[in-house]
Amino acid sequence: MSVETIVTDKAGLQKFYEAIIAKNETYAPVEKFGKYDFKLVKNLSECDPESPIAKTMSAKPLFFPRSAKIMKYVATSAGTDVSETDEDPLAGKRVIVGMKHCDARALQVLDKVYNWDFIDTDYQKRRLNTVVISTRCDKAETHCFCTSLDYDVENLDAMDVLIVNGNDGKVYIKSKSEKGIEFLNSGVTSHTSRVTEEAAGEELKKQYTAFSASFRLKMDYKSINEKLSKIFDTPEFENVSSNCVSCNTCAFVCPTCHCFKISDEKVKDTGVRYKSYDSCNNGYFTLMAGGHNPRPAKYRRWRQRAMHKFVYYKERFGENLCVGCGKCTTSCPVNISIFEVINQVSK
Amino acid sequence: MDYTKQIQEIATRLFAEDKIDVFVGYRLTGFDDNQVPALIRESKDVPLLVFNQKSVFNLSNYLKNDHTRNKRVGLVVKGCDSRSLNLLLTESQVKREKLYVVGIACEGVVDDAGQKMQNCLECMVPAAVVYDELLGEANMERRFIINADIQDMAAKELVQRREYFEEVFENCIRCNACRHSCPLCYCAKCCIDQETATLYNGANTTSSAFHALMTWSLHLAGRCVDCRNCEKACPSHLPLHLFHKWNERVIYENFQEHLAGVHEGDRGAFYKYSMQDPDDFIM
Amino acid sequence: MEQLLVPMICKIDKVIQETPDVRTYRLKFKEEGLMEKFNWMPGQFVEFSLLGSGECTFCIASSVTRKGYFDCSIKRAGVVTADIHTLLDEGDEVGIRGPYGNWFPLDDIKGKNLLFVGGGIGLAPLRSLIQYCIDNRNDYKDFTILYGARTSADMCYKEEIKEWQENKSLKVILTIDRPEESWTSNVGVVPKILEEVVKPEIANTKVITCGPPIMIKYTIQSLLKLGFADKDIITTLEMKMQCGLGKCGRCNIGSTYVCKDGPVFTNEQLKKLPDEF
Repeated sequence: MSVETIVTDKAGLQKFYEAIIAKNETYAPVEKFGKYDFKLVKNLSECDPESPIAKTMSAKPLFFPRSAKIMKYVATSAGTDVSETDEDPLAGKRVIVGMKHCDARALQVLDKVYNWDFIDTDYQKRRLNTVVISTRCDKAETHCFCTSLDYDVENLDAMDVLIVNGNDGKVYIKSKSEKGIEFLNSGVTSHTSRVTEEAAGEELKKQYTAFSASFRLKMDYKSINEKLSKIFDTPEFENVSSNCVSCNTCAFVCPTCHCFKISDEKVKDTGVRYKSYDSCNNGYFTLMAGGHNPRPAKYRRWRQRAMHKFVYYKERFGENLCVGCGKCTTSCPVNISIFEVINQVSK
Repeated sequence: MDYTKQIQEIATRLFAEDKIDVFVGYRLTGFDDNQVPALIRESKDVPLLVFNQKSVFNLSNYLKNDHTRNKRVGLVVKGCDSRSLNLLLTESQVKREKLYVVGIACEGVVDDAGQKMQNCLECMVPAAVVYDELLGEANMERRFIINADIQDMAAKELVQRREYFEEVFENCIRCNACRHSCPLCYCAKCCIDQETATLYNGANTTSSAFHALMTWSLHLAGRCVDCRNCEKACPSHLPLHLFHKWNERVIYENFQEHLAGVHEGDRGAFYKYSMQDPDDFIM
Repeated sequence: MEQLLVPMICKIDKVIQETPDVRTYRLKFKEEGLMEKFNWMPGQFVEFSLLGSGECTFCIASSVTRKGYFDCSIKRAGVVTADIHTLLDEGDEVGIRGPYGNWFPLDDIKGKNLLFVGGGIGLAPLRSLIQYCIDNRNDYKDFTILYGARTSADMCYKEEIKEWQENKSLKVILTIDRPEESWTSNVGVVPKILEEVVKPEIANTKVITCGPPIMIKYTIQSLLKLGFADKDIITTLEMKMQCGLGKCGRCNIGSTYVCKDGPVFTNEQLKKLPDEF
């Protein structure tokens, strides 16, 4: 793997983005109603690759769409027929710019569940055909706590190309994977100013030190994880969940939540079957026909969500399902912070 | 507007007199000046309670919560919150005798940026209409204001309106947070919930969002009290008040200046019928 | 992933009204040759879809040793099952995905005494194994079936139970919850009959149980009281599922996916899971 790092300035970075958009199918954060969502862009002016993290939706829907068509069907008295749907619009070669580190990490975490046993080939194809370009944040926002979790934010390898806005005013563009090297050599950059990793390393380190010092939220992940795994029955879950209104928005904006439901849209004899997001905070999530529900009370559903993020997934797949992006907290209508809750429960 | 001290005193008294099992108020998040609804169950937690212009969320939503069901509840309500509470009482969702209501004569709350919320600028009923005890002066005269964005919308051609709303629905992610945070949406089987609905599927398509949100807003027409819990909950920041305000205006203008939940026992505009009701606005 | 969720079309060969609210649907694949390739183990389940209404999880209620078809016994309980009962008849077509999940530990139960304890519609998953074991009768020693239902009308597979009763190599014990006039067998809930009538041999015996959650709970308590070891009690869990592939997250209990690691668990495994079922 190349160890070269491209050094440029803010104007050079703009040119880099412009070249990417001109040459590739590019997705970037586009503002609408004050919120940024990843959309296909044609010009740099439409989007903002450095959108504020608190106002940016996750890029997860580009890999795991909010609704995917499973099939179409025709069911008449003459017989039933199912057919595959049109081509997957997300399967082509593409580039995502402006993804945050936490969001990129989320994909790495999701890879585990999609690639065990039955393999989600659509997800895999989307992953394979996507070049992820991620800019390291300069400053943590109110609800960020990525540095307190089980992954190394500084040396994260979840993206293909890393961009760091150095404190010296320079911009460092670094390839992090084979795909990234290939991409940087595909004519998207005309910059010749390249330095070795050692030369750039110091500046990257400085930037990271300043960044990691800006976190308001810090916790000891290991002890929290250990404690949580032992306190399934704590009454504290009932306390912390009391003011949740079960609106489910936390799960819908979460970059790692991957529960889905299957539903049919029927028009007379024909129909489409969809796979769409669902949330374990829904009262009916585990409700079975006949009325039996293993998680009838809100605190049980809350516990499932918290434990799945911080204990179960780690047990099963070796990664923490929460990436510390704070999106759930930002979106929560009643300002419940997952960080506070986890810490309070495992106190 | 800061009633922290008074509310703490009331809550302490209620617990001491064993009049309530849980007190629903607000507390600070602990890290900024925003607030979290707090369900206080013991008098030792009463000092957590606060109330000021940051107390935004409509707490009557918690009356459908696991933690308040079949309990004696103390509740803090602002003007809009009390109107939704009034509707819940009228619709037999809560029992008045189980409630101790602390009404606030509200001077308006502010959003995250510290700006007064738009609905507060347009508020017709700032002081609580149902209460056992009222904090503040209830003498604020208001008049019905049709705000700028509704006027803009009214000025648009139907086609343009549709285009605008399509853009809105395109950004809807169908999380149903609006419906869940609405204090008046208490149906056990909601027509827009994905799993229990027979009318809609849960798919996130523009058409399904259009269908669901439109039906939802019509279901709330004549009941919506403009507390904006839904807008606060929307992760895509969609201007949901446009539907609700639009409906509110139509109903105010056509149904003898009806405002939802202002009078005790008054049902929503669409729940009563009189031969004099106009029908010329029906599509 | 999406392709994995596309069902194959099956034709309903026969509908058997088992009880007032349970029907058995005998299914065959529409496409030639698929039926022969469709192999399953006792205890596995399929995703059954009535296109337009939705998808439900049902265990396969017949054994692979009975060739040419498979059965799903469906109790009218929710939205989709009500639609299935109302809309589906012989000759209609449905979608099937599967088989999914693990199966009863066939190697472990070989050469052992078998005790089946079923309640209500819970006999369906057991029936698959019972048929399998009857077809390989020489592999097993004593063979006891204890089956309980609320009333005699609520007993599933009445015809087949008669066959089992006539089969001299099986011991069949039936019970209903409350006395009925023409009922000559036992009366009482399953755990009570288990302790008072069946009095099973503990050594070298494997118990396979399935029924409503409350019955499973008390049956397991009785079995433990009788002296069975946790590893000798095998049950199959019911949990809401949607994909059956270990992806949709609905059937999670702790870090276990019921659709992949289950639905068949021994009590030893169940004890390690958080108490959520």
